[in-house]
Amino acid sequence: MKLLTMTTALALAGGAALAAEKTLDIGVSDALTGGAAVYGLPQANAVQMAAEEINAAGGITVGDDTYMLNVIAYDDKANPTEASNAVRKLLDRDGVRFILGFCCSGATGAVASFIANEDAVMLVGNAAERSITTREIPNLVRTRPPADYTGAAAGTFVAEKGHKRVAVLGALDVGFYASYVDAFEKELNAAGGEIITREAFGLRDRDMTPQLTKIREQDPDAILVVGYVEPAAFIYRQAVELGIDVPRYGFTSGSEEQFLRVATSEQMEGVWDLRPTELTLLSASENGIAYHANYTEKFGIAPSPSSPYAYDQTYALKDAIEAAGTVEDTAAVAAALRELPVPDEVVMQYLPVDGKMFDVNGQAYTSNGAFQWQSGNWVFVQDLPSDAAAYSAFLSTID
Amino acid sequence: MIEILQQIINGMAIGGVYVLIALGLTTVFGILGIAHFAHGSVSMFGGYLTFFLVSAQGLPLAAAIVIALATGFVLGLLIELLAYRPVRNASHINAFIVALGLTMMVEGLNLEFFGHEQVVIPTDFDRVFNLGGVTIPELRLYVILAAALLIAAMTLFVEKTKTGQAIRAVAENRDAAILMGVNVNTIPLVVFAISTMLGVCAGIMVGALFAIAPGIGEGLVIKGFAVLILGGLGSIPGAVIGGLVLGITEALAAGFLSSAYKDVIAFVVMITVLLVRPQGLMGKA
Repeated sequence: MKLLTMTTALALAGGAALAAEKTLDIGVSDALTGGAAVYGLPQANAVQMAAEEINAAGGITVGDDTYMLNVIAYDDKANPTEASNAVRKLLDRDGVRFILGFCCSGATGAVASFIANEDAVMLVGNAAERSITTREIPNLVRTRPPADYTGAAAGTFVAEKGHKRVAVLGALDVGFYASYVDAFEKELNAAGGEIITREAFGLRDRDMTPQLTKIREQDPDAILVVGYVEPAAFIYRQAVELGIDVPRYGFTSGSEEQFLRVATSEQMEGVWDLRPTELTLLSASENGIAYHANYTEKFGIAPSPSSPYAYDQTYALKDAIEAAGTVEDTAAVAAALRELPVPDEVVMQYLPVDGKMFDVNGQAYTSNGAFQWQSGNWVFVQDLPSDAAAYSAFLSTID
Repeated sequence: MIEILQQIINGMAIGGVYVLIALGLTTVFGILGIAHFAHGSVSMFGGYLTFFLVSAQGLPLAAAIVIALATGFVLGLLIELLAYRPVRNASHINAFIVALGLTMMVEGLNLEFFGHEQVVIPTDFDRVFNLGGVTIPELRLYVILAAALLIAAMTLFVEKTKTGQAIRAVAENRDAAILMGVNVNTIPLVVFAISTMLGVCAGIMVGALFAIAPGIGEGLVIKGFAVLILGGLGSIPGAVIGGLVLGITEALAAGFLSSAYKDVIAFVVMITVLLVRPQGLMGKA
């Protein structure tokens, strides 16, 4: 009886002390399986890791309350219908109000089309289609810059290398890859170069030798490969097998491990990846080095370069909730996101616009970088021209 | 000219894979009248198993292939005994449903055992041969040669051995074969064992040349049936010619017309052939 009384007293005391500690569910909709899982699964992992870090550091403080994050993740397979269903499940069944992840543009676009009508905040990661942040959706922000922002910088870089005749092989039926190439072409043309052919492949294609044979016959100065990691890796490998000995540029954001599943390091040697300045160990900041180490330890695999977009979302959400002082008023949290300075914990190197992480369109910008495969690693070689303020102004002019 | 030759070489490797898939399907269909939809998933199982043995167990590729083929042999026997034999004398729709169920089951097992990630079977065949401007990667050359060898072995087996003659006899006239003393219970076992081993070979080739992932088996079996129809149902020479025609047409279409429509163009060729020869290229009218 004495023991029971003591236990009850302790429980009551403990309960009083912890009365203000609550759980906040946050959702993730991302490609956890299928071809796009190379981007989606690392993003979901990154959110989970950030949530655990935030919890370990005391959670999110809102007034007298402290919220511990609980992540509910669903597999949207990068499919628009699956993503809509996943988000509806998060909103209607799980009661989630903050949804993160979103690696791929088709699925993200489908959710973006209805999220403005929901009592929720949507934080987009790797999906690069420009129109996601031109729709004036007040409760949506995105950590990754649009593809054409990077494509223009890439076009300038390739032109400066002296290439005049560039052959393109890409997943050109995917909007954001096509917009990358369009912006690339505009800058290349301005410098007196041209795209001599645009060859396409499907996201499930793995044999690109017919297209590469055609490209080889046209004798280009360089080739530009835009697409998911796996088909891109096959293209790099098959280009070597076909004896195509010209510089290879790409826009893929794959990790070393992902490429080495398909191609050898020798076959990859010298390949350029022209993309936002994402995570690579050799170019990472202190945050980036810690992120890489923690992620690798936790999941037993190195993080993909684009995965920190989702990690950074989580810290941006934490800061916005604390700034808004509420988890109930999603409009206030969405507004706070647009006023947010870049959080200290983020991994990517953001370029603030007017001192804020997200511009008026809800778009964040990183610098763009030229990475080259050297002896088994992606090595950061140089920054590419990245005028975030000018692009932000341009983005605001698009309907 | 070099470009055309290069595209033909490009198409022959994938055409060889189509041939092996179609050979397995055509023998099963020719003898037993079963549309064995699970064949693609079974061949992916062979590819996954080889990858597992090489990557996770550290076996040499040749040893992994031998084990995968032996497993394929046993798997073929089990498929016939446990899945198709019970419905052998029932209506065709029963075998059809069994085939669909088996496809889902094998796909599920592949997912359970090997996961959902794309895998590529590692090989050391990195050399590239150059013949007058036409380049042939070592791996593709071996795939083409292995496919040719298997086709020749299959043809010799069916044409020159007693078991092969028995298979042909059952295909021609099952009742007459029984009267001639052919053991018609053993023949389906042999057919499924051989068919599955050919499928495993195709899976290994796809896994080494390209990649194995969930869903790829379905695409492969669709191409296999297309080859079957193009070449003529139940015809071994038809499967060989049909597979090569489909593979080379895809490569030429992607290279000279549009890569976006290579599958469409390949199937348009198939439909055109069928308009002229409804029985397929080598089928009997």
